[in-house]
Amino acid sequence: MTTWAQTTTENDFAANASASERRILVSLTGTADVTVRDQLDQFLRDVHQEAQNCRAEEVTVDVRQLEFMNSSCLKCLVWWVSTVHDQPVEGKYHIVFVSSPSVYWQRRSLDALACLAGDVISIQS
Amino acid sequence: MPDGPTLSFGLQLQPQPRMVSIVRRFVEESFEKLVGNPDAVYRVSLAVHELLENAAKYAVGERTGLAVRFEIKGASASITVTNEATPEHIARLRACVAEIQAAADPFIHYQDLMRESVGVERESGLGLARIRAEGELNLSLRIEGSMVTITASG
Repeated sequence: MTTWAQTTTENDFAANASASERRILVSLTGTADVTVRDQLDQFLRDVHQEAQNCRAEEVTVDVRQLEFMNSSCLKCLVWWVSTVHDQPVEGKYHIVFVSSPSVYWQRRSLDALACLAGDVISIQS
Repeated sequence: MPDGPTLSFGLQLQPQPRMVSIVRRFVEESFEKLVGNPDAVYRVSLAVHELLENAAKYAVGERTGLAVRFEIKGASASITVTNEATPEHIARLRACVAEIQAAADPFIHYQDLMRESVGVERESGLGLARIRAEGELNLSLRIEGSMVTITASG
């Protein structure tokens, strides 16, 4: 049963999240560029807050339909994974990125993120 | 410089944030049809996006020039963006490019900037380092008066 949901859209970018029990599902689609940076930043802060509230074990982030992410938006992900990485043990949760091998930015950028916080991130493709 | 046949084009555009993704898609879609190396096309389009976005954020004046040159097999490419900038931005750009050029390991430098960016409110400062580390392209900078030309090539 879904206990929390959040959506933001701007231009062709959309971010959706829903929580059920101690799992949160996130999907990011379209193009994440400088025109949606503020929306993505707030969205990820809301997801993190909900993850703390529901003591989430895992947040799954489906980026298969995310065509491109610029460096400003990548910085939002850096903030998020760094924040989770720096949490005390009881506040930590795992972030699983579901990626597409045919979307070329994802391999290089998600690998860079994983190097920052390998203990909280895994990447599925 | 590339050895084989090349594809190239140039654009003059107003540096607006909404134009950046449109131009990146144009580059991707054009070269995808002509170059049999999607990863190389991605690296070029990444550089186009980050360089144009910098111009959209920091350029003064009405015009930004973009030139893209791509060797037909995707083995080498250059992306050049020219715009007018303030002395303060030129100074920051000089320092940023010098740091990237001096880094022994571009990926480690990129990771360091990522960590540092967490405490910075607005500017990500990651775009140029991303071109070097993820795009595996070298950066060079030419300043003529208030005109800035930055080239990513490899």
